[in-house]
Amino acid sequence: MPESAAPETAAPPLSEAALAEDFFQAERKHNLARWPTGADVDFEAAVELHRALPRHKQLAWVMREADRERRCLTQPRGGFGTFEMHRDLMVTLDREGLADVVPTTTDSYTRNEQWQLAQRGIEESEKAGRSLLNGYPMVNYGVAKARELIASIDKPAIMLTGTSMPKLTGEISYAGGYTGYLGSAIAYTTSYTKELSIEQGIRNYQYLDRLVAQYQAQGIELHRRQPGFLTGTNIPPSIAIVTCVLDCLLAAAQGVRNYGLEMGETLHLVQDAAAVAACRELCQEYLARKGYRDVFTPVTLLHWMGAWPQDEAQCAAMVAYGGTLAAIAGANSVTTKSTHEAFGIPTPQANAEGLRITRTAVYMARNIRLDSMPEFQFERDLIKREARAILDKTLEMGDGDTAVGTVRAFAAGVLDIPWSPNRHVKSRVMPARDGDGCLRIVDPGLMPFPREVMEIHRDKLQRHARRTRQPFGHELAVASVYEMAEPIAKLLPDRPRG
Amino acid sequence: MPAADTRPHLPQHQKTLVTGVIGSDTHIVGNRILSMALEQAGYKVATLGALTPAADFIKAAVETAADAIMVSSLYGQGELDCRGFRELCIEAGLDDILLYVGGNLVVGKHPWPEIEKIFLDMGFDRAAAPGTRVETVLDWLARDFAAREQGLRRAAG
Repeated sequence: MPESAAPETAAPPLSEAALAEDFFQAERKHNLARWPTGADVDFEAAVELHRALPRHKQLAWVMREADRERRCLTQPRGGFGTFEMHRDLMVTLDREGLADVVPTTTDSYTRNEQWQLAQRGIEESEKAGRSLLNGYPMVNYGVAKARELIASIDKPAIMLTGTSMPKLTGEISYAGGYTGYLGSAIAYTTSYTKELSIEQGIRNYQYLDRLVAQYQAQGIELHRRQPGFLTGTNIPPSIAIVTCVLDCLLAAAQGVRNYGLEMGETLHLVQDAAAVAACRELCQEYLARKGYRDVFTPVTLLHWMGAWPQDEAQCAAMVAYGGTLAAIAGANSVTTKSTHEAFGIPTPQANAEGLRITRTAVYMARNIRLDSMPEFQFERDLIKREARAILDKTLEMGDGDTAVGTVRAFAAGVLDIPWSPNRHVKSRVMPARDGDGCLRIVDPGLMPFPREVMEIHRDKLQRHARRTRQPFGHELAVASVYEMAEPIAKLLPDRPRG
Repeated sequence: MPAADTRPHLPQHQKTLVTGVIGSDTHIVGNRILSMALEQAGYKVATLGALTPAADFIKAAVETAADAIMVSSLYGQGELDCRGFRELCIEAGLDDILLYVGGNLVVGKHPWPEIEKIFLDMGFDRAAAPGTRVETVLDWLARDFAAREQGLRRAAG
């Protein structure tokens, strides 16, 4: 791991407060010295670059416009290991996929700041003529190459970085003209790391959010985004939303004003629509409680984040239905997948096809809303009751400080994430899918959900267990991990069961 | 088919397995479910979890005197992470340890026989395609351990 001298200014005790200017600048100097390409980050030049970008290439503005027009934008995921392969991918997604937002996913070595391994991956990919990296090594290629990528497309670009260590990747990509960055302290530390503490994850993202606030002070509004899909494995909406709200409060405290919230689709139309409404309302409610009234919080749904079926026809249905769900739910954007999902990273063409399938579904469902439906209202209120119980307890545990409360709540299991790889997360909460296709909680672990709420979850899952002759317990959670990946002939047999 | 065993029933030597997700990969869910199933099937399992360097698998295998190492990779970079894995085993004196690998092992959709060959050539005894179920892996293990008692490297098929 690249190391250089530690900054001279000692870190202040953890709190949600905006990082002090002298501390931030000292951190910044240290950060940019960790890899040679860091030296090319020039803040003034970056501000000029962003000022010169047309509005339709600025994600913050594009998200505000989508919200104003009640449109659901499409954005895929994608990144390859060499500059040429990656540029071709971005161009294909822009032109053939009609992506409204063009992504750059970083490779997993970059995510873990293993830039020497990433360098080897670039060389091996060039030798093999195919990508051996699962994303674009942004830090190795640096600012000038990032600018070339931005110049090659006519849409806003977002970084998708799956990391708790965003400091150098964030600096280089924003300096290169990217206008969005997906990643947050709570979501990624609990879902993408094993050893990193929640506290360190919060500190790392406070840096990135403070950086965005520095651009904001120069009149450059950048988009930040929270990956509330978490571990992507049957995350009940309330748990996603709790992390959305807490990460949003942390970002707002550093000065971020354009903060997107993401949730993986449950694939139940009503539950997803309820989740989008609850997420939007709860974020604004808790922001207002803290006195923030000018933070724009668009909501994004993601195509199914769990295991996908092998059959491309089944996948095509999930892609299309995922677009339908997002549009009806009133999401501001949808993050798309493709029919190759069961096999990993799609070709540019398959990825573009996923975008067009989704776009067609979004078009057809564009003005359908469920707001007056009693089932929608029931689910929305249920999600809110669950989320409020956890949020209020967390903030109370921090004596009002979001950062401190978050760390304490994870230690106590009050905050918990299903299927987390992180040692500092209890991961005792267990979700499962009920007979109607909604995600419920089979075991709350130590999370303090209200008793009446847990009874609703238990009733629905017990009924499902009885009907499918499964024991009520963790087996339900395991079966739910694979449910959507099962062959359709098993899920919906083409002859009577009797 | 070998003749029926007429010896008095002896408690079988409990086999030890090492599981983990290799490299910079955090996809833990399948690996955790596999580890749970292996334990339920009566194996002793050392679970290393996500983000495990190759060297840590081998260290754990030496420390637990393991009979097999099961490497998971779902993020596409398994091809880079698994190179030289067998050589590391040999250096550590685990020349013949049973090695399995499974998941989405390379970047992009390629015909499975091509992918399988890459990993068998690296010295893995079996590679599991995406979507391989726990029952299949349990079956492979039972047959491969039985084959080893016969002095074979692994069972056929």
